Amino acid sequence: MTINTMAKGGWQREQTICFRKMEKMIVAMQDPDMGMKLRNQRLLITVIPHAMTGHDIIIWLIHKYSVCEEEALHLGGMLVKYGYIYPLKEPRSLVLQPDESPYRFQTPYFWTSTRWPASELDYAIYLAKKNIRKQGELMEYEKERYSLLHKKINHTWDFVVMQAREQLRASKQRRKADRIVLECQEQAYWLINRPPPGVHNMLDVGLERQNNFNLRATLVSIEVHRRALGRNRVKSSICLEGFLKYSEQYQNHDPIMQGCLPSNPWISDDTAHWTMNTEMVPVPTRLRVERWSFSFMELLNDAMGRQEFMLYLEKEFSAENLYFWQACEEIRHGESSKIVEKVEEVYKNFLAPGAARWVNIDSKTMDKTLEGIKQPHRFVLDDAQMHIYFLMKKVCFCKLREKDHTNISANSLQHLIMFVFPFMRRQRHSSPSPAQAVAQATEEEGRHKGAG
Amino acid sequence: MGKEECKTMLDALNKVTACYRHLVIALGSTSDSQNLREELKRTRKKAQELAVANRTKLTTLLKDKSISKEDRAEYERLWVLFSSSMELLEVDMKRSLEIGQDFPLKVPTRHLIQTGMTGSTSTVAARAMSVQNMKYEADSNIDTADLKDLQSEITQVSQMMEEMEMKVQVAPWAVVAKQEAGAELKSNLSVGNSSVGVISICEEEPKDDEAHADGHPARGAPPQGRAVTCPGGKQGLKGIQYK
Repeated sequence: MTINTMAKGGWQREQTICFRKMEKMIVAMQDPDMGMKLRNQRLLITVIPHAMTGHDIIIWLIHKYSVCEEEALHLGGMLVKYGYIYPLKEPRSLVLQPDESPYRFQTPYFWTSTRWPASELDYAIYLAKKNIRKQGELMEYEKERYSLLHKKINHTWDFVVMQAREQLRASKQRRKADRIVLECQEQAYWLINRPPPGVHNMLDVGLERQNNFNLRATLVSIEVHRRALGRNRVKSSICLEGFLKYSEQYQNHDPIMQGCLPSNPWISDDTAHWTMNTEMVPVPTRLRVERWSFSFMELLNDAMGRQEFMLYLEKEFSAENLYFWQACEEIRHGESSKIVEKVEEVYKNFLAPGAARWVNIDSKTMDKTLEGIKQPHRFVLDDAQMHIYFLMKKVCFCKLREKDHTNISANSLQHLIMFVFPFMRRQRHSSPSPAQAVAQATEEEGRHKGAG
Repeated sequence: MGKEECKTMLDALNKVTACYRHLVIALGSTSDSQNLREELKRTRKKAQELAVANRTKLTTLLKDKSISKEDRAEYERLWVLFSSSMELLEVDMKRSLEIGQDFPLKVPTRHLIQTGMTGSTSTVAARAMSVQNMKYEADSNIDTADLKDLQSEITQVSQMMEEMEMKVQVAPWAVVAKQEAGAELKSNLSVGNSSVGVISICEEEPKDDEAHADGHPARGAPPQGRAVTCPGGKQGLKGIQYK
């Protein structure tokens, strides 16, 4: 009993689309007026009709589809490869010869089909029939497969033998010409569905086997790919440049590339490195401060950097921006259950007209945000947050880079900011090469007693 | 005895299945015709009758608790043969529906595939129906009218097979075949006794066939086109190693 390849309840495989197209082509060739020109095949005393030459096939394809000879050869070749047309002279060579070699059409029952895959039972019956006809003279690989099947479906082997005999008896009822055609057809079918060893299996498309079961899924994926085509892409030369700049900039900061001072805690068991780099320390390390100048995001992400920045903003009377930004971050990353109340608070403190810490957002974004607040969710303040972020970045952060360090009055951190500024000044133009940075760093180090 | 009866019925079903397949192969080709459609219909109905009869018989026998162990093993073997036969039949019926729908006979724009087969299949059908000659009496629209019947019959067969799987507890892997590998080359006795006399296994093969491509000489000395009776055992199992 073989496993039923068709699930109960009506779901069936579909015929692969390219096979359906080939079938249409074959049917078009049968047209009595516009179809293929057919001749008779003369065997010794039998005459079998409906043979055609390879050349005829190509001429017909050229006329019907207005293609060039090369393409017609390719198309015709596919028809032969997939078994819709089989060669009569050399049955094992499934290629289309554009000469006088004879071919014939395959009967619909034996058309290649993903819907009706060839079963082991059928193959066994075929081999048994061949065994009888050839009195045991099967080809080597056929004998091997025969033995294998005999083991595999041994429980139904008696049926195989019975059925093989009966099928032969049934075909004896036909006249000779038809019998010959039948044998050729069957042989062609099995050459495709169970190819001899070393011959590529046409039906195997490897890892990228398409799932044709669901037409709708295919249409959806077509739509997805079409949209993907329209997306903006960055040339690899450009993003590689950016990648290079980033690597240069961060090289000194990478503990693997540059080593970490004072020592790698994993190796030396000395946790000084970690203690020096905790989130809040009295004096941050030089490298850390240097990173603040790389980008605004670095500054904001570092708690101490943010603190510094806040102090600066308060002096400039624009601290509400940072408070707002922080509040938005809390909503984005915080608990779902608290979102509604947090958004309420933000509105009260930052967005409502006359609020204590009113932030300056452009009218369009403000309208959109106020609208969105009516149905608060995690990302409702994203637009406003982004606006404020860029405001801070352009106005405050960049000002900070240019600023003269004499304006800073923070005492215990003064020498830190002095470290920040020289580095920042250099960053303005281009990423420093590592060599230059190191040289000037040692210069600074000589001048100020820095930490780290 | 129950066993002999079973075997005879199974042979009959086997014969009809083989003939039905032969007829379905001709569908859509130049051998196709009104007559073929009628032959298909009648063969199919006969197959179904035999199927139901076989099933009833076998289920009764298998349900019987009083049978001996060897008998039971034998009935299980017959059951497996019966299900395989039904499998083939079901697939062929579904295919004949599909091909029948794709190749209606009366539509002038739908052409049959010119496969080289042009003879009639009436002798095959006659064999299936166990009659001397076929008499054709169907209407001219049989190619479309029959399809509805076919669909309901397919549903019936599928349901029957489902029931069979659920109700009858036979483990196919426990069944051992009686015939060893290569058995078909020996005598031509079938399991039962319903065979028509077999003739001409070693017939001359046409020149274009692979017999030449393989380098083997054309089998059989007799001159072209004449059938020869070879008793199956003569050539035997010469030179074959079955592992």
